[in-house]
Amino acid sequence: MPQVFKKQKVLTPDLSSLFSPLQLITYIEQSRRFEKSLYDLIRGLRNHKGNEREYIQHSLRECRSEIRGADMDLKATALLKLIYLEMFGHDMSWASFHVLEVMSCPRYLQKRVGYLAAVQSFRPDTEVLMLATNLLKKDVSSPLAPTMSLPLVTLPHIITSSLALSLLSDLLPRLSHSNPNIRKKTVATLYRLALVYPDTLRSAWPKIKDLLMDEDEDSSVTAAVVNVVCELGWRRPRDFLALAPRLFDLLVDGGNNWMAIKIIKLVRASTLCVIFYADRLKFATLTPLEPRLIKKLLPPLTKLIRTTPAMSLLYECINGLIQGGILEGTDGAREGEEIASLCVGKLRGMIVVEGDPNLKYVALLAFNKIVSSHPHLISMQQDVIIGCIDDPDVSIRLQALDLGSGMVNIDNMIAVVERLMQQLRNAPIASRRVDDGRSHTVSVEPAADSDGEDPEETLRPTAEPQDETTALPAEYRTIIIHQILDMCSKDTYSNITDFEWYIDILIQLVNLVPITGQSTPELYGSSGRTLKNSSTSHEADASSAIGWELRNVAVRVSTVRAEAVRAANSLLSVSGSEGFFALKGAGGEGILTFVAWIVGEYVDGSVSSYHSLDSLIHPKVQSLSPMVICAYLQAIPKVLTSIVSQRLLDWSSEHKTMMSLLVARVIHFLEPLAMHPNLEVQERSIELLELMRVASQAITSHGLENDRGPLLLTRAMPQLFTGFELNPVAPTAQRKVPLPDDLDLGAPINKSLPRLLQLADQGPLAESEAAEFDSFYNKRPLPRVATGPTFNSLASLGPEPSSYQQTVDSIPDTDTVMRKRNQRRERNKDDPFYIGNDDVSSGTSTPFHDILRSANGEDVDVDSIPIMNLDLGDKTLTAGGSNMETRRQKRRLPKKFDIVKDENIEYEDSGVAQSETASMGTMNDNGPFQRARDKTKKSLLQVDSRGLGSFSLDNSESVAEQLDIERQEAQDTEMAKALAEVERLRLEMQRASERIQATDGAPAEGTLVKKKKKKKLKQLTGDIEAQFRKPNPEADGGPVRGSQDADATLIAKKKKKKRKSEITRPDDEKELRAFEGGQDASSFRSQAVL
Amino acid sequence: MINAVLVFNNSGQPRLTKFYTQLDTSVQQRLISEIFTLVANRSSSACNFLPCVSTPSPTFPKTSWQVVESLLNSTPSRLPPLLATTPSAAATPTQPHNDTPSLITYRHYATLYFILISTSTESPLALLDLIQVFVEALDRLFENVCELDLIFNFEALHATLGEMIVGGVVVETGLDKVVRGVREQGKVKKRREVGLGGGDGLGVVGGLGMGRGWR
Repeated sequence: MPQVFKKQKVLTPDLSSLFSPLQLITYIEQSRRFEKSLYDLIRGLRNHKGNEREYIQHSLRECRSEIRGADMDLKATALLKLIYLEMFGHDMSWASFHVLEVMSCPRYLQKRVGYLAAVQSFRPDTEVLMLATNLLKKDVSSPLAPTMSLPLVTLPHIITSSLALSLLSDLLPRLSHSNPNIRKKTVATLYRLALVYPDTLRSAWPKIKDLLMDEDEDSSVTAAVVNVVCELGWRRPRDFLALAPRLFDLLVDGGNNWMAIKIIKLVRASTLCVIFYADRLKFATLTPLEPRLIKKLLPPLTKLIRTTPAMSLLYECINGLIQGGILEGTDGAREGEEIASLCVGKLRGMIVVEGDPNLKYVALLAFNKIVSSHPHLISMQQDVIIGCIDDPDVSIRLQALDLGSGMVNIDNMIAVVERLMQQLRNAPIASRRVDDGRSHTVSVEPAADSDGEDPEETLRPTAEPQDETTALPAEYRTIIIHQILDMCSKDTYSNITDFEWYIDILIQLVNLVPITGQSTPELYGSSGRTLKNSSTSHEADASSAIGWELRNVAVRVSTVRAEAVRAANSLLSVSGSEGFFALKGAGGEGILTFVAWIVGEYVDGSVSSYHSLDSLIHPKVQSLSPMVICAYLQAIPKVLTSIVSQRLLDWSSEHKTMMSLLVARVIHFLEPLAMHPNLEVQERSIELLELMRVASQAITSHGLENDRGPLLLTRAMPQLFTGFELNPVAPTAQRKVPLPDDLDLGAPINKSLPRLLQLADQGPLAESEAAEFDSFYNKRPLPRVATGPTFNSLASLGPEPSSYQQTVDSIPDTDTVMRKRNQRRERNKDDPFYIGNDDVSSGTSTPFHDILRSANGEDVDVDSIPIMNLDLGDKTLTAGGSNMETRRQKRRLPKKFDIVKDENIEYEDSGVAQSETASMGTMNDNGPFQRARDKTKKSLLQVDSRGLGSFSLDNSESVAEQLDIERQEAQDTEMAKALAEVERLRLEMQRASERIQATDGAPAEGTLVKKKKKKKLKQLTGDIEAQFRKPNPEADGGPVRGSQDADATLIAKKKKKKRKSEITRPDDEKELRAFEGGQDASSFRSQAVL
Repeated sequence: MINAVLVFNNSGQPRLTKFYTQLDTSVQQRLISEIFTLVANRSSSACNFLPCVSTPSPTFPKTSWQVVESLLNSTPSRLPPLLATTPSAAATPTQPHNDTPSLITYRHYATLYFILISTSTESPLALLDLIQVFVEALDRLFENVCELDLIFNFEALHATLGEMIVGGVVVETGLDKVVRGVREQGKVKKRREVGLGGGDGLGVVGGLGMGRGWR
């Protein structure tokens, strides 16, 4: 607040010696003219609407010069302006040294500005911080309470472990300061010290504990201590069990709601912990403690719940009761139930009676926490919860939705899902674009200092209710869809009684899928349900999820398989004008992948197969995304085969014509795809294309005299696709397959890969080459088939050898094909992956399958492939000796539907199996990698308190732990020693290098001198640091501090001398003085010696 | 603990930024604008929380949970992308993530939004009360506080906050003590009444919304 500063100009002796009196007056006048208070700055900003950026740059320049001046008043004002501008994103890290100067001002109001600047602008890499140690020590010991609280409030923002080490001895006495305000701030500051330097607690904890135990202590200090204890408490709850009686008293008679809430939170943490221990280790000594605590806590908590008018306390009580496992901990189950229903009743009251959205929200939050342990209680509240699903507030809706999947059971399932479907159907689709228009995005850069509508308006809560059209945002719709799917598929469809209904829901959902920016069928396409990439691509595709479910039902529930295939067929169908049926609702095309698979796998060969094939080879398919096309390509031969195989016996000319037409259409469809830019599509279509060409020849060469069709079509191709039925496999099954001894997964597949990559990096495609590549694949002429029906274009395909007309009557072509094939066979003779088809192409009647077997018999022993040893078939229903499985089976499934469980491998070690099942949901194949990333990745704003986790407060815990502590201590001291040694070496090296630099004969130019000095300064502070590190932190602060200060003055003197020997500019001189406290150097020295 | 306190007005201009961890200025600005975008798009009848990402109950081993979670993170009513944790980190219910800021509590007074970013160890309703105490304390100090007071006296704003929260830990919730603590540091001046078309007639404080049910 610049206007409060008195405009007094203390003339320093230097200035007066440099300027003549007349000059001095003009100097002061000038500075006055330039000087601009914070008030002026803000006014100016408001007056310069439109070109704030310019104005701010101008002001920043002004501040830059003002802050360099000698006038502390001006300096502080400039700093205040900088802080203000920093709030709008204008970096002020360059001013950090000036911040220190202002911090060392003797006057409180200026000092306050300095400290505020430190809070707002210092970052972990601010180097001048280490210069502040002495200043902070001095201010912490200031006789004035306001001055003293400045460093207390500031320290948490700038603390480092070395700073903590040197300040700890000064902070500890403040815990017994006469002013309660200081005491409570010190407690909080010490907590932050402990986070970066856990040893703080070793010396501070006894005193903090005393503060807590002292019944005459100021109530707000006690509250602050409780807050800190809570922060510490959730890390190591067991250490705080000893405090339970006192906390209990505070809870009962405290009268401070905030504190009571905190205590309940802590109690919850500790009981949770105790239960955890009792459960896991059968830790007999703690178990007796546990029921006592619960018994003691239960009456006051229930009393609080019944009586308190404060909703926040009520809520936390309930939360504490439920989450602390107190309900389960009670002796009689009846009593527990009683309390549980009391809690749930109160929560219900919060939702129904109060009508306050906040209460609604937290009540649902509490429900969400209860639901895993007491689902039956929550199911009883389904009416309110379903009511909340329709709440205008999306936050509340989401909470209710979360709850939804937890509370559904076999009875209310259909009702809940229908409700959600209704919501989806009725609400207008809010497109993404509209959503963006509503959102105001703040431009970060220009600090346009506009106010709200009326800055004069007194602050009061806005309460005018707003009518809101409930246009659901697309993301919310997606969440609803996922929730519906989750509810239905819960516990392998244990809640579903009617799968026809479910398939119907799925079909409806397809049309309700919102428009998402980019569908990502790749997520599902290749890797199935494991959504490894879901964290990277935020758009998880709802339609893919629906497709996943449809496929899951088709695979697992054989009774409704026909129904599912019918549904898939309808989704697959393409109508001329509207395009894909499945895409009518503008949803993603992700579902097509699954639908195509279903149709291909479970095609039944009835009339609808023709229809399916029509859809699969529709020209529009070519415009789909590569992964979808891949799925199509796999489905096409399956459908084709099924069509062929149903007409096995009556091979007539009519049939022959039809078959060759079908094959020709498929070939026609595939040809453009053989040039597809996507490699996967290209490869698959070329493979299929070759097969189809062979088939087409087989048909043409096959005479009508046979009453059976060509063997390639009737026997060989079906063999490719039928065999074992596909069953669902548990995600963990793969991991249980024992690793063969001779398999080294770490060995690189291609040893020259790094080199290849390097080459690719080094030599990018030349410009022309790249363009050629690009045009070859991406700019090819649009496929002719895209226009008009297939049959029209078929006629124009004359010259191509593989086309329908050509192959009928051109025998020589068959010869060339034969020749080529023979060549290829020669080439691939020794390739075990090449399936030899010696005689089939010649059209003899040897069964393809037999040939295949005889050709490969020596090389590949099918029975020795390890996967066959799993014998999965037998375990289809009994697989998985894990808890999960047995629990699932406990629920009686409706007789009508037989749901196939995941296949798994029985494992002797049930413990491992259990843990694996437990982690099933959360672990992906790249589990270890993710876990490693978890360790390293830290959320923004997060304060890391891991250091506290390993720190014990209670010294008399157990021998093992004591040993642990001792070991740690030993390690600590060792580490400290090593660090000191490293530091010493570093300093020596630095000194040596500087000596070399000095002898290099540097010219005595201003800039160079300045640089050197800075380095020296750093080095000196390094010395100080090193000296500080030596004394024991627990030793009495007095004499040590004295000696340190003496050291400091010594160093200051040294500095002074050095500077005098070199010629420096007056600016630097001033800077130094300001750093020394803005006082005369001699007075500083005398004070420090004192 | 509390990770950050923010105050900005209806058009997203910051009036107070206090981060209890050291962040780059640019990151701070991004966070402010992200949070503002989220908060400003909520209707006034909506609840005052931007919800934390709920940990899935262990009854669902389904991986579609991960889909949902990644979605939740990108929903407008959820945490801003900067704060959003990776789904895998949030998906392990046994491991406490109490260090992670996961709750944004806000209140809207006239032209200003007051935002608290905190970890899940704080009680949401209590945080609402805390904002209320903060505003009431400002109101006492400035007598009918309005946005202009806070613009011109942002130092006093910081001082008031410093009396209530130190290093992310709440040290005082009593209104009187907060006000006394600020006054001990020096006189808090009303903003200058120069030409800003303002003057004193700022209306009566009565309806500051005190005495909400859960206090």
